[in-house]
Amino acid sequence: MPLIDMPDFAGALLDEFGRRRTQRVDAPVIQPAAPFLDMAGEDLRRRIFLTESETGESFCLRPEFTIPVCLRHIETATGTPKRYSYLGQVFRQRREGGNEFYQAGIEDLGDRNFASADARVVADALGCLGRILPGRSLTVTIGDQAVFEAVVAALGLPAGWQRRLVRAFGQQDVLDAMIARLARPAPMAGLPDEVEALLEAGNEAGLIAHVEAEMARTGTLTNASRAPEEIVRRLKEKRQVADASLNKAKLDALKEFLSLNVSLRYAPAVLADFARTAGLPLRDAIAGFDARVAAFANAGAPLADITWRAAFGRPLDYYTGLVFEVTERGKHEVLAGGGRFDRMMTLLGAADHIPAVGFALWLDRVEAALAPAGKRTAP
Amino acid sequence: MTITLALPSKGRIKEASAALFDKAGLSIVSVGNDRSYRGRIEGLDGVEVAYLSASEIARELAAGTVDFGITGEDLVREGMSDVETRVDFCARLGFGAADVVVAVPEIWLDVETMADLGDVAADFRARHGRRLAIATKYWRLTQQFFSQRHGIQLYRIVESLGATEGAPAAGQADIIVDITSTGATLRANHLKVLADGVILKSEACLVRARKPAHDGDARVAEIVSRVGAAL
Repeated sequence: MPLIDMPDFAGALLDEFGRRRTQRVDAPVIQPAAPFLDMAGEDLRRRIFLTESETGESFCLRPEFTIPVCLRHIETATGTPKRYSYLGQVFRQRREGGNEFYQAGIEDLGDRNFASADARVVADALGCLGRILPGRSLTVTIGDQAVFEAVVAALGLPAGWQRRLVRAFGQQDVLDAMIARLARPAPMAGLPDEVEALLEAGNEAGLIAHVEAEMARTGTLTNASRAPEEIVRRLKEKRQVADASLNKAKLDALKEFLSLNVSLRYAPAVLADFARTAGLPLRDAIAGFDARVAAFANAGAPLADITWRAAFGRPLDYYTGLVFEVTERGKHEVLAGGGRFDRMMTLLGAADHIPAVGFALWLDRVEAALAPAGKRTAP
Repeated sequence: MTITLALPSKGRIKEASAALFDKAGLSIVSVGNDRSYRGRIEGLDGVEVAYLSASEIARELAAGTVDFGITGEDLVREGMSDVETRVDFCARLGFGAADVVVAVPEIWLDVETMADLGDVAADFRARHGRRLAIATKYWRLTQQFFSQRHGIQLYRIVESLGATEGAPAAGQADIIVDITSTGATLRANHLKVLADGVILKSEACLVRARKPAHDGDARVAEIVSRVGAAL
């Protein structure tokens, strides 16, 4: 296979992917842009290379592989479980580094044993990096949205608040603002008298009729955007959200949880301690967390090199559980990043619920990490 | 080096710019006939005036092909990244005032703030099978405000090149980001501005493209100080 332009270690990496029993797949460089913008949000628009076809359809240069690999899986309908690998160029507008660089990675679809699949994906990432950077000391930081969701649920907040907090998971400044707001209720005001009276009386049918009448009067389409029922349902939820607050003990517990940052060896004990002193019912979440730690140990992942940071998450709605990053010890450049994205396959149009974990290697950073040691020979 | 000053070629902002320069003692004389798109400043050699549309002025400032321009702050901020490092807002001129705002249908009784909108946007895909759609011509300002300022990622921008306020009623988008001066057009279309939904309080500005050649150029300093003194 011609490897011109590819990193020197591409052959070794592909060999490693093969040993790890993955099926290598490719994806066209020119991709429809909509799935990327739909999944990652409009902010991605500034960071990808967009173009338009003559018919006005938006295309982009492949900014990553996960979405094309998942779409391909859905189209080919070959069933699960499946382990895919890829290695190729991706294109992004970056402040640092070039705009075209190589990524490689594994997407592991359909394994319903979450703990062992989580452990395997981290072991895969470490194994692949270890093959290219032998003898380097690598450290892993993991986060877990499922534990955060359990903590938020245990605080007894209304559903609207739980979703808000979970959505902000991984964005510390947004979370801080929400925590500050939760110190006291922020009663809702300024509704028209008629609406206020209907809401106060819990007259849902009356509210819906009011909204419908207003829509008819103003010529608003009831089926193009938010329907009357949807507006009324959220209005009721908003009243609960506005009236909600947390007492000092619970706020402190939430802040303390977000500050936990501990070696995975001690993480189960620390989490259990936290639940006990905070008085929060977290049994199921702790069981799931402990099962994963045990699976990590079984998979031979070095627990001493893995740190659990409770506040570590990614603010995209398809991430559901584990997230992780691998760096060299004492360095900041993320060499590999990954996690569990159980919601993505459904969002992309899969008929069945397909659990998914995966990771991507930043091969330009791996190459840079290789360079200073002068180890340019293929391993 | 000739200093190029780009002024709006039409409308009230053109009249107001000419009046301001007169008051600053920098009278503009048309080159050729009255309808010419070129001019010069009486008594200030080496300065030429080019009449362009307001959006072209923003574009030429971004490209650095003009030295000064008078145009709306909204157009300048929308037209380039890293705006503070590339241009200098020398003076706010007190005319052409308009706000860039987030407006939603009045009947969205449950949406008064960006936090409310964040809740709605997060739920939207599950309810409607698509992301919340925002009609706007302000791609950059919208992204900065929603994504970076308010942590709202999940929406789609629908480009709107005119009559943006009609997009929700026409079913093209759910909400809009648009410019408004009195709010009358929004109200007429049954839209309301969110309490914390003012993205930018814009007005006409004298804007200088940052160039090393401007350092120590007496004409540059004189234009800035005279316009400043005339306000």
